[in-house]
Amino acid sequence: MHATISSTTDAAARRTPDPRWRPVDIIVAAVLAVAAGVVFWVWDLVSNPVGAPIEAALPGLQGIINGPWLFAGVLVGLVVRKPGAALFGELVAASVSALLGTVWGPLTLVSGLVQGAGAEALFALLLYRRWGLGAALLGGLGAGIGESILDLTVWYPGAKPLFDVLYAATTMLSGTVIAGLGSWLLVRALARTGALSRFASGREARARA
Amino acid sequence: MSLLPALRTGALARVNPVTKLGCALLVAFTLLATVDWVSAAVAAVLETAVLAATRLPWRTVLPRLAPLGVAALLAGITTTLYGVPAGRVWWHWGVVEITDGSIAFAVATALRIAAIGVPSVVLFLTIDPTELADGLAQLVRLPARFVIGALAALRLVGLFFDDWRALELARRARGVADRGRVRRWAGLVFALLVLAIRRGSKLATAMEARGFGAPGPRSWARPSTLGRPDAAAAAIGIAIAALAVIVSVATGSWHWVVS
Repeated sequence: MHATISSTTDAAARRTPDPRWRPVDIIVAAVLAVAAGVVFWVWDLVSNPVGAPIEAALPGLQGIINGPWLFAGVLVGLVVRKPGAALFGELVAASVSALLGTVWGPLTLVSGLVQGAGAEALFALLLYRRWGLGAALLGGLGAGIGESILDLTVWYPGAKPLFDVLYAATTMLSGTVIAGLGSWLLVRALARTGALSRFASGREARARA
Repeated sequence: MSLLPALRTGALARVNPVTKLGCALLVAFTLLATVDWVSAAVAAVLETAVLAATRLPWRTVLPRLAPLGVAALLAGITTTLYGVPAGRVWWHWGVVEITDGSIAFAVATALRIAAIGVPSVVLFLTIDPTELADGLAQLVRLPARFVIGALAALRLVGLFFDDWRALELARRARGVADRGRVRRWAGLVFALLVLAIRRGSKLATAMEARGFGAPGPRSWARPSTLGRPDAAAAAIGIAIAALAVIVSVATGSWHWVVS
């Protein structure tokens, strides 16, 4: 209850970001994550059968398609602005796509954990105080770093160093652009509709517009 | 509403989802530590035997396993082309280099993916989200507010589909539904997201009013328990992981993934 009152005023929220989660933070984070999980699952279906044979023949450049699997953490982080939001968002999204049925099974959960932790780490480096475009891009990059490390150990353990470098670079690029920039644009658009009025992220955008 | 109804037949139905998740992760992490075809093959054979014994309907299970086979095969192809070169060179063209070494790695990678994926795909087929959430909060003791929040959100998925239908009809009635398929879809997805957030905010208020997130002890409507089926499932999971390691080390084929 105190959390709700203290973060109602925008200025107060900016000075001391309250690390405690209100129920509305949890539920909206989960709703966004679930929606993202459905997107993950659709992206699994779309990207796998069409591009997979071509991808398999690429020397590491297939990392470029990884971006859409990285955006949940960044999106939830940008909206909710709480410690753990990126991790929670990506993990729930991954669980939803695992429950809907992915090729990767529980490894999807590990992927979600690693991607979320990557984005979370970079948001933490900014002390959970910066949530602009720069932070969004860094979050996407962080998720890409996490995903690269995991993929190269799980899926391509015997690959050449050249492949490893190309794969990590394209994954990080894709994470930065699609997950980072994409989430930032999405949050801005969502804020303009007024749907995020109970969050600092939504009120800031409304104040500017 | 349910996303995909969980399979309720066979011996797996009485095993707690937490045990299933634990078993799948145990086998996965054990096999991830090594890249060799022996451990993966041992695990795959044992898993197939166990699956046959669980008597799940093959018509449901096989289509779900097919994409896994494709994914394993494709990862194998990638490694064949770009694996660390060793031994005899079969084909060399630009960055592509097919050698004895890369082929060996490819076979190990594909088998490993299959061995990790089969139990997880099958176990997840039989997991009900509500039971999983109950188990995660009560047995694993993950923060209850977050687990239950996620479960509440998951239940909105059914409403997503209704909303989607309503949005489509509304747009058609307004005469803006027939042009530009991609743009229309992007617009619909965005509108759906806005609706979902608004509904989520309202849901949070309703849940808060009923005491969600309030201090004090929480009670559970559905106690999540572990029993004899869980002990049996855990024993099988541990046995598969252990046998894979023992056979691999005994035959001298264990190969640490990071070395």
